[in-house]
Amino acid sequence: MPDTSVKATSSGIARIFEAIKLPVGDPFALAGLIIYALFIFTAIAAPLIAPYDPTEILYTEDYDLASDLLPGEEGHILGTTSLGRDIFSQIVWGARSALLVGFTAAFMVAFIGSVVGLLAGYFGGRVDAFLMRLADVAFGIPFLPFVIVISAFSEPSIWNTVIAMALVLWRDTGRVIRSQVLSLRSRGYVEAARVVGSSDLKIILRHITPNILPLSFLYGSIAIGWAILTEASISFLGFGDPDAISWGFMLQDAFASQALARQAYHWFIPPGLAIILVVSAGFFISRGYENLLFPKLGR
Amino acid sequence: MKTLVTAAAGLAVGASLWAASASAQDQIRTIELLTRPQAAQPAEFQAIQLIAQEWRKLGLDVNVNVMPWSQMADAVWYNREDWDVTAWQMAGRPERSDPDEIIYNLFHSSTAENGYNFIGYKNPEYDALVEEQRVTVDPEARQKLVLKAQEILDADQPNMMLVHPQQAFAFDKTVFDPASVVDQSGIGIRSYWTWLGLTPTGDQKDIIVNSSDNVIAVNPLYISGVTDNWLTELIYDRLFRVGPDGLPQPWAAESYDWRDDTTIAVTLRDGLTFHDGKPVTVDDVVFSYAATTGGEAPMYAPFGSNVASVDVEGDNTIVFTLNTPSASFLTSSLAKINIIPKHVWEPILADLSTKDENAESYQEDTPIGSGAYKFVRWLPNEEIVLEANADHFNAPKAERFILRLVPNAEAALGMLRSGELNFLTDFQGDPQVLLDAAEQDGDLEVVSTVDIGFRYVAFNLRRPPFNDPAFRRALSAAVDRRLIVNAAFKKFAVPSNSVVSPALEYWHAEDVVTGFEAGSDVAKSILQEAGYGGVGDRLTYPDGVKETLAD
Amino acid sequence: MSTLKPFLIRTLQLMLVLWAVVTILFLMFRLMPGNPLAAYIDPTFTAEQQEALIRQFGLDKPLWQQYFTYLGNLLQGELGYSFRYRTPVAERIMLLLPNTLILTFSSLIVAYTFGILAGAWLAWKRNSRFEAAALPAVLATRAMPEFWLGMVLLAIFSFSLGWFPAGGTRSAGTSYDSLWQLYTSANFLSHLFLPMMTLAIYSQGLPLLLMRSNMLDVMKEDFVTMAKIKGLSPSAVVIRHGARNALLPVMTSFAIAVGYQLQGNVVVESVFSWPGLGRELVNAVAASDYPLAQGAFLMIAIVVITMNLIADLLYTFLDPRISHA
Repeated sequence: MPDTSVKATSSGIARIFEAIKLPVGDPFALAGLIIYALFIFTAIAAPLIAPYDPTEILYTEDYDLASDLLPGEEGHILGTTSLGRDIFSQIVWGARSALLVGFTAAFMVAFIGSVVGLLAGYFGGRVDAFLMRLADVAFGIPFLPFVIVISAFSEPSIWNTVIAMALVLWRDTGRVIRSQVLSLRSRGYVEAARVVGSSDLKIILRHITPNILPLSFLYGSIAIGWAILTEASISFLGFGDPDAISWGFMLQDAFASQALARQAYHWFIPPGLAIILVVSAGFFISRGYENLLFPKLGR
Repeated sequence: MKTLVTAAAGLAVGASLWAASASAQDQIRTIELLTRPQAAQPAEFQAIQLIAQEWRKLGLDVNVNVMPWSQMADAVWYNREDWDVTAWQMAGRPERSDPDEIIYNLFHSSTAENGYNFIGYKNPEYDALVEEQRVTVDPEARQKLVLKAQEILDADQPNMMLVHPQQAFAFDKTVFDPASVVDQSGIGIRSYWTWLGLTPTGDQKDIIVNSSDNVIAVNPLYISGVTDNWLTELIYDRLFRVGPDGLPQPWAAESYDWRDDTTIAVTLRDGLTFHDGKPVTVDDVVFSYAATTGGEAPMYAPFGSNVASVDVEGDNTIVFTLNTPSASFLTSSLAKINIIPKHVWEPILADLSTKDENAESYQEDTPIGSGAYKFVRWLPNEEIVLEANADHFNAPKAERFILRLVPNAEAALGMLRSGELNFLTDFQGDPQVLLDAAEQDGDLEVVSTVDIGFRYVAFNLRRPPFNDPAFRRALSAAVDRRLIVNAAFKKFAVPSNSVVSPALEYWHAEDVVTGFEAGSDVAKSILQEAGYGGVGDRLTYPDGVKETLAD
Repeated sequence: MSTLKPFLIRTLQLMLVLWAVVTILFLMFRLMPGNPLAAYIDPTFTAEQQEALIRQFGLDKPLWQQYFTYLGNLLQGELGYSFRYRTPVAERIMLLLPNTLILTFSSLIVAYTFGILAGAWLAWKRNSRFEAAALPAVLATRAMPEFWLGMVLLAIFSFSLGWFPAGGTRSAGTSYDSLWQLYTSANFLSHLFLPMMTLAIYSQGLPLLLMRSNMLDVMKEDFVTMAKIKGLSPSAVVIRHGARNALLPVMTSFAIAVGYQLQGNVVVESVFSWPGLGRELVNAVAASDYPLAQGAFLMIAIVVITMNLIADLLYTFLDPRISHA
């Protein structure tokens, strides 16, 4: 079991900061953090960077679409789609969707997983048995089909997709946090706190939570990648939010508009690369955390 | 309560200014415009985006609501009071070669409650007209009535007609003799007649076609889908067929004779046999018509409902007696209903009559008909193989007809170019890509045909402001149809203002289309003339009309 | 303690899980808004005909009654009738399942063969420049959307180069006497190649990384050091001692991977027009064919749950470090 205990000497807030210390020492993680910084910047500054509204249909006075332009034509860096929309602007705005989807899903996964893990691990007994059977059920649900069904049958919106993901993905986090809590609970200082009569809430918040935060972050950073990939698949299958320009939506659009037959590599390669870049950045960071948390693997 | 009113007096002065303008002219609520997702219907989606953009320029607040077909059908068809505007389409089918189905079913007030007139159009003058054309058997007199009906629709604009799409098909001209391809009026080269006449010139003797829709059933008593119909058409004979010219011609019938307005005698062709070797008799024909209206085949029932009785005369004559005269009987019934073997279906139907299920749930392992092709094999989600019936009176030139189920346009085009397909029968992609591919390839010929079907935007006439013809005309005029043709349909469509396609040359009212004026300015002046306020800014009703449907 | 007991407990627990999943499935599909049959009721139907259809699918009964009918039918292997095809769902699913399984297993076998070898090799080459370049590349393959990879392979190897067919499992109109003959035919294999490679490229990362880190673990252990001291050649040490011991956990992960792969199939089958369960699920969902979507979903869930159980048991029985208590 990983040993991540932070000594209960400094104040709570300081401990939290200590706990989530970003793994900048690791070259992988550093690369990931730099990609993330760029990605977050792009997402926030999207309106300033993107030359066009990503959904605006550009057409000329004589009712011709400004469609299927090649990179560089008429000032479109990556050309335009078959519907006459600027590809580069879509890539830039796609960062915003990816950021929203990735981070909210990751937050929800980490949050639900941590709470479940904490409750199950700390209280044990029936609570534990119940929550762990719930996790078993979540493990038994095929993830992508579940998200497809929920996305398809509810109003098409990014949030429904995110919620569907969170409803299943907390399972891994929950289990790992639980076993971490189990091992923490038997530590001396937790025992000591209990003996002096600290309340359960206080023990959980002061002594246990800070020690499981890095694990939550590890699973959160993996979930970012999963969420972005899943949203892309859902959009690709046509169950996505039609109003949100995401990279998955772009790929679906390209595929449906026959970018492959047109050999329009400038259209379907960039969104794929953007996804790979951001998702692998998440993986790199999670490896950094792993090295921090499980030093024996760090090589 | 009183003190509150006094206290609020000061505020009321300011509010009354606002209230005065509001009470004089009520703002039109946000209009919900329904469409299907881009992935499923790229052209429709695109057209709706453009229309919304143009309507907003008039000062209308429009919210585009994207939903899959099943939800849209539910919202529009089953909740007729509750929607505002929706994109919609009518598909081109051979039996729609007669204008009756469209001009009657879509607009007659009797179908407003739960039939095809889901927009709730009610016009007694129009009702009388389409009832009359229905029973007018003389083509010229009927033509006048059909043209007049189109003029009324133009004046009323119950729908915003967009386009008649042009369907693009392609085939490999090194495999088949291009002269043997038959372009059926309003249907295109993907026609029954092509599958019979298509002549292989080399070693490849199979016709390999594609469909992006899955085949749901191969069942002569179930109208399960457009693609499925290609197969039932080939496997089953019918008494009549809609010919390449769009007019019905005798098929399994040798000859026919209208004895009076409601009686027609049909003589069955000699020597017809089912694929299992048994002969086709008049009993089979009588059985087939009885089966459609016998309660086990609800989808076919409307096509046989005008038949009062079917009687046998001698060895090979069947006499149909109709309830009312019908100008379209040959097309909509005799060319529609499949001849099925009594010895196969009688026990099946007897068994089904004791159960909840009907004939639509029954799938034969090997469907038996008497048609030009025989059923061989069905691999779900992959392909269906038919082979030529050499004994048929119009035996096909090809050896097999193979339908490949290819879910996306991208793969279909790739397969056509590699020879995995040799006749592209379903192409939902960008026709320009197809043309470019054909040019690059050299072996492919692309043929496009104006469809009988059409795309339109339906207004809910039950709900203001759409009950006002002027308002409808303004919205309809707001968008130049060239924009829709060029931008949404990539030039593969013709502008429309009539539900009768130019493909049905005889019935189509050309003036109605060429005389339609459109453009943002035209729309704005129509609105101003009709008393609407806030044109170009935030549209309001004419004086005295209240918004009753706002949330 | 009997070794059978944990097996029984796990199996029982998973039966409960299966029941829970089945219930969730039922609720998920029945509580969705809209008339489930709307897309299939022809507008020309009379009210009577519509009601007959609703009766036929049992939708007129109260929800709890529908639930018990559904459970009862499931116990008999009965998945109901498809709204769309009006034929038994179970029949259709059983026809499509083999196509999905062959795609899943062939791609995983390729992925695991490659991943295990490459993982061992990377462990052997640790701290080399090659490793430094290879690791991020492997992570990147796991960050790729599978359908995108499929699109790229399709564009290059089918549309541009014309080396492989664009979709389906076989050429038009070809027939084989048995599934075995089909699956071993050159025709089938050429159709299988691109979708299989797409899935394999995505899945090789897991066995590769696992193998590498297990190898590194194992190689630190005493018996490897002993072997080194005994003067065995380094490659012999790695192969004879390292790989053998590192392999076990990797093989355990195979079972879990089957479950995951089955889900990835959903998208890849759509890209390659592969007539499998995943594509059927997507089609059924898009067409609101609830019984069919439900059946396909359930089939996938059963495989996932079974594979979880197998992985669990393998782990419990094969790894001595886990106690049976």
